Amino acid sequence: MTPATTPTAAPVLELQAIHVPGRAQPRLDGVSLRLQAGERVALLGASGAGKSTLLAVANGLLQPQQGTVLWSGRKRARSDRARRRQQAGIGTLWQDLRLIEELTVQQNLNCGRLAHWPWPKAVLNLLLPLESEACAQALRQVDLHPQLLSQPVGELSGGQRQRVAIARLLRQEPQLLLADEPLASLDPRLAQELLQLLLEQVSPQRALLLSLHRPDLLQGFDRVIALREGRLCFDGPVAELSSSVVESLYAGDAGAATA
Amino acid sequence: MKPAAPLVLLLPALVLVPVLLLLPSLLHGGGWDLIGAFCMAALQPSLDPVVLDALLRGLGITAGMALLGWASSLVLGVVLGLASSRLLWRSLIGQAWPAESLRRLLAIPRSIHELIWGLLLLQLVGLQPAIAVLAIAIPYGALVARVVSDLLDALPEHNLEALLSAGVPAPAALLTAQGPPLLPGLISYSGYRLECALRSATLLGVFGLGGLGNELLLTLQSLEFRELWSGLWLLLAVMLSLEAIVGRLRQRWGMPARFGLKGGSVGRRGRELVLALVLLIPLVWGVGHALAIEPAALLHWQPLPPVAPHGWQEAMALPWLPLVGNTVLLTVLAAALAVGLAPLLLLLVAPWRWGERLLQLLWALGRLWPPPLTALLLLFVLKPGVIVAALALGFHNLGILGRLLLEGAQATGAQRQQALGAAGCGPRLALLYGRFSGLARSYLAYGAYRADVILRETVVVGLVAGTGLGSQLRESLSSFAFDQIALLLAAYALLTLVGEDLSDRTRQRLLQP
Repeated sequence: MTPATTPTAAPVLELQAIHVPGRAQPRLDGVSLRLQAGERVALLGASGAGKSTLLAVANGLLQPQQGTVLWSGRKRARSDRARRRQQAGIGTLWQDLRLIEELTVQQNLNCGRLAHWPWPKAVLNLLLPLESEACAQALRQVDLHPQLLSQPVGELSGGQRQRVAIARLLRQEPQLLLADEPLASLDPRLAQELLQLLLEQVSPQRALLLSLHRPDLLQGFDRVIALREGRLCFDGPVAELSSSVVESLYAGDAGAATA
Repeated sequence: MKPAAPLVLLLPALVLVPVLLLLPSLLHGGGWDLIGAFCMAALQPSLDPVVLDALLRGLGITAGMALLGWASSLVLGVVLGLASSRLLWRSLIGQAWPAESLRRLLAIPRSIHELIWGLLLLQLVGLQPAIAVLAIAIPYGALVARVVSDLLDALPEHNLEALLSAGVPAPAALLTAQGPPLLPGLISYSGYRLECALRSATLLGVFGLGGLGNELLLTLQSLEFRELWSGLWLLLAVMLSLEAIVGRLRQRWGMPARFGLKGGSVGRRGRELVLALVLLIPLVWGVGHALAIEPAALLHWQPLPPVAPHGWQEAMALPWLPLVGNTVLLTVLAAALAVGLAPLLLLLVAPWRWGERLLQLLWALGRLWPPPLTALLLLFVLKPGVIVAALALGFHNLGILGRLLLEGAQATGAQRQQALGAAGCGPRLALLYGRFSGLARSYLAYGAYRADVILRETVVVGLVAGTGLGSQLRESLSSFAFDQIALLLAAYALLTLVGEDLSDRTRQRLLQP
């Protein structure tokens, strides 16, 4: 796959000399990176290397002690309303999915639109099926049948839930797609299918930053960023990632390196 | 069109529409200056040493009555609870009918509010310090008994069966297999009942049984609002400290949360538990001595006045339909106000950090402020009736339900709320979707239980706000019409038993997966 980048536009995400303190050592120490629209970027590192912290900084949940975060060239907005608009452009696929089990699939998919809806419509979503065609389309994109729309999420299988979570992201239409180890604890076939699905969501307007515990799933990515003890130790094309770098990343974490 | 869980949580708040529409017609035109003076006095409580001394003495009596009533109810409740456990009788004699009979019998003392017990005992034995203790111990004991027997009967029986089949005698097998798993739930519930006992002891004081409640009533009636607030702040400090201590101990000893969102676990720190129990005995004895409690004085009954000729016919001719109807209406209104307002208020203040703190303070005041005093305060500006009584009772129960909702909200759905916030969702919608979805069922189930409690409490405001069976009870008590009192109590008992059954069914339906 070739990245569909638009180099003239501001990066979808830019981190400048990010520093996040930790107890014994910094969780992130001087990390800088740029993500252009259309890029598919894998984030590698052993447990505790700082991957989740970096993603938390990237989605605005964690404000770094030092450094600057820019989303599409803009700093964190000051007013609540502007910040919500900014956040709506960042979609996160959480490891535990964070779907609302008590609601139907359709209501969950529409959660992706809540940032754009006036509150009466958001409340109405809890009473009536809204925007059914758009929801059905999102389900089709993740290879699920629209019949599932009226089903409570609590009744779905594990694989279906993963796909619904991705469909919710599609409803959100973010420019930046973040995923925090979404393939952990999945069987190899399902992990491969979901990874493919996520890679397909990248478009000329959208970038993907996905953290991986396993370096054997890098096929399909344009670029790899690797972290070790909170520091950036590699940033380049997948082809340039040597086995010695991988080994140094996972020193003492043999299970991941050999997976 | 079926509303989703978070919306169902807000539906009871619709009761605000008729209440707000009716309120303007209930204003009698005066009293706003008094309400203003009352609110202003909150910021300037009296620091007069004489006042503080009287209030502290009253607080000591109230706390002492609460402790003794609570301890007695625990002893009574555990014994009766074991005796009404189906499991225990089945293990001992192979049949459960004695448990069933005792359960039905215990429904009667449980259905009568502690205030009625207090007023009845006052008529029977005259003013004694032991009355308030007994008035708390009787209904609380019956409540604890039900909880103990329910907990015991709901425990898995495989350990017990294993011991019995190995030839262990039934009493020893029961104690070994079911005792340890019963303890966490029982101790957690006991802590909750101690908090309730403090509120009940204050309420009994309002009706003349001594302690801080009496002081609060006197200061309100003489419009000494600064003195009233001194008492309220003191009571608030004690109540919040007690809640914090009980919460801390519940956590430390690994007891299940009250809201039932987390499963029970076997308690930790057994030695501390035993030590606490051992220390409780001299404490209870010392407090009893300080309050000059003489249980023997309860045996000296005063002669009851004779029943008036045609008394029973007059009692039967009371306007039962409006009395019962108003009591039910009062229950429904107060319950809907309390259940619906708590999530609505939490949603309204969600964008502001200080909003939750402000609500916590408001709810704490609601919990400690006895509903009859709220009713009296509302009567400064409103005409008496069902709405005033519902507002008073609703405010008190809002304090209890609001705290539970907040505890539940803090324990569930934080990550989902965070995820919605990270996707640009506003704080109100993130709370509604992220947290309320998960706790709607358990909260409404608790609301159904609370409605049952509110039905019992209607008598408390009815006595002041002039509505329902409570207002008639006040008249019958002041005219010593024991025939009417007997029928009114029977009506109350019947009503609360029906309410308890309805509440149980609703809860079971709500908690079904």
